Amino acid sequence: MKKLLSLSLVLIMIIALAVPAYAANDEIIINFPSVWVGTDSKAPYMEQLIEAFNAENAGSIKVVVEEQTDYQAARDKLRTTITTGETPDLCIMDTTYDIKGYSEAGKFMDLTPYLDEGWGDDFAEGAFDAWSVDGKVYALPFESAIFTPIYNTKIFAEIGWDHFPATYDEFFQFCEDAKAKGINAVGQMAGENAWTSMLWYSLIVEAIGGKDVYANGLEDPAFVQAADVLKAMYDYTFDGAISAGAGDVNGHWLARDTAIYLNGPWWVANLYKEDNAVDGVLLADDCEVALNPVYEGGKGEGGLVTTVQAFLAAAKQDDPAKEEAVVKFIKYITDPQHVSELALSSGAMFFVKYDPSPETNLISQKLTEVANNADFSILHVNGAFPTAVSTEFPAAVSALVLGEVDAQGFVDQLQLAIDMAA
Amino acid sequence: MKLERSDRAPLWAFMTPALVLMLVFFVLPVIYVIVISFMKWNGINTPAFVNLRNFMLLFRDKAFKRSVINNVIWALVAGFIQVPLAMIMAIILSRKPKGWKFFRTVYFFPQVISGIALATLWRAIYRADTGLLNALLNSVGLGHLAKDWLGTLSTAFPSVLIYWIFYVGYYMVIMMADITTIDDSYYEAATIDGATDFQQAIYITIPLIRKTSLLTCVTLASVMGLRQFEQVYMLTNGGPANSTSTIVLYMYKKLQDANYGMASASAVILIIIGVVFIVCIRKIFEGRNEEAAALKKAGRAAG
Repeated sequence: MKKLLSLSLVLIMIIALAVPAYAANDEIIINFPSVWVGTDSKAPYMEQLIEAFNAENAGSIKVVVEEQTDYQAARDKLRTTITTGETPDLCIMDTTYDIKGYSEAGKFMDLTPYLDEGWGDDFAEGAFDAWSVDGKVYALPFESAIFTPIYNTKIFAEIGWDHFPATYDEFFQFCEDAKAKGINAVGQMAGENAWTSMLWYSLIVEAIGGKDVYANGLEDPAFVQAADVLKAMYDYTFDGAISAGAGDVNGHWLARDTAIYLNGPWWVANLYKEDNAVDGVLLADDCEVALNPVYEGGKGEGGLVTTVQAFLAAAKQDDPAKEEAVVKFIKYITDPQHVSELALSSGAMFFVKYDPSPETNLISQKLTEVANNADFSILHVNGAFPTAVSTEFPAAVSALVLGEVDAQGFVDQLQLAIDMAA
Repeated sequence: MKLERSDRAPLWAFMTPALVLMLVFFVLPVIYVIVISFMKWNGINTPAFVNLRNFMLLFRDKAFKRSVINNVIWALVAGFIQVPLAMIMAIILSRKPKGWKFFRTVYFFPQVISGIALATLWRAIYRADTGLLNALLNSVGLGHLAKDWLGTLSTAFPSVLIYWIFYVGYYMVIMMADITTIDDSYYEAATIDGATDFQQAIYITIPLIRKTSLLTCVTLASVMGLRQFEQVYMLTNGGPANSTSTIVLYMYKKLQDANYGMASASAVILIIIGVVFIVCIRKIFEGRNEEAAALKKAGRAAG
């Protein structure tokens, strides 16, 4: 009896080991930690897209999504896995990653040969220029973003304004008028990653410094001047902005107690959500897209603040079949038809050239118009400088607003962060 | 006591697994951290030896100095305010007043809730616009005191620290367990001599737990104070202006910047501070241990 039991156990163990091995040989698994899940505006269509891909490739390729609902935690995890040599098969990254360093260290697959086969023609002209390493593309710029203010026309009317301020002088006049009516002109946040304040700072830096503002690092006087302007904006935001996070800024905007909102185009979908409507009126119906005001004496007229919101990079593969499978999946995601659908459902913008759907919402159309009409563009501050700047920005901006440092001290604090990381 | 040769083999056999685990999961990582603290390394390229550069940069960085000060305050508050509070609760509940089981559960309850959840709750309480604390102040006519508790330099760190002080349940149950081992004859004798509950606590309970559970709790609490991360990260992320930063949060931010050399250097400083704290705590409590243990033993023998 004992022998029979032992034999059975051994058989079960062999079968248990053999079955997954057989399955593994048969089907290629693509591990994909994704932040386009949960409440992310791209989540619903991405889920459909991955399901469709898995169905089309049933039995040969399977994409397994590892859901990452916290953007910062996802960044931390991805950095750790790449550093420890466990790069996921496909990664989503933003400009806070050391893409050049990872590429040079051989962490990523070289996508150049595949792009040269004609796939590269699907992308906007010059999309790879700033991000290629020794002429090779390891990280594919996929999602783009422009940052330009969106304002609530109904609130503007309450304040007595029928247009968006064209200059920063006019902007502060508007802020004063809004304050007199007890309305927050803008949302600011120095908590979490100080995202909104970083965007406003980028807009002001662009307005003052123009297209070459990053040419000499933080040495351009525009950074100090812009810090003073940003500090002044904190007089016209909601209480508690110093400790506020993105949820607070969004909450005030959705509650219709802030007149001007600044975020990426991926947020547009929220303007059309029934959940955010008041008395059946969508927030989008009261919204208008504006241009970054001109700074008198500045060099930024006609400019735009942009970024690469998401790169797609794949782990270097030893198995050619798996490499082919991963590339096949990336091509599937970046297919112009799919990207068009993704843009329609989320409001996000992309480096892939696609025909916008006729159903594209008005706000997204206007954002595209702003992007197309820009004379030049610069990256936002987080994208233009090493990661240390984005890490230090919340501390620096709160120190600035609370009077711990002056505008020069603010810039020095960011510079010190760069120096320490260098 | 000298071990016989025949006793050594089983001794080593039992100790080896623990020693190996200790070596692999503690000693080697600590050595690794110390080595990296002298390197410039971004996690990708080959580390380069930079001598004491990382430590010099740390001590020039205001944010790091603030983090060290905050951690020292935290550890002191933990050891010398939080634990004494826990001790008072333990002494009171050990006398088994009416409803003591209920209160024991209530005080211990926060320990089973995630620190992240508690921090989120307190963030909502401290909010400047819709926070409970400001609403409460407004409702009792103290609206002029309402403020952005986590966004004001003078209140941010006390706000982060203060709510945590009152979560005493963990240390309270440790000390309650110890107090139950004190022989009743001491209290009976003291009662006959006319000692009040307060006097019994001062002259019997505290001396008898001082070198055992009290020492353990002070050590644990201080070390926990030095390791603070999650609640600061959740409540303020070290802000405003790094005024609530701690060493572990500072380390985390350096890791985000892929600055592994400075992150490791700050870890080394944390280890040194931890060792200094433990040595100081032991020194403070030294000399009375044997006396208390002997007293306890005598009590048990008499009982």
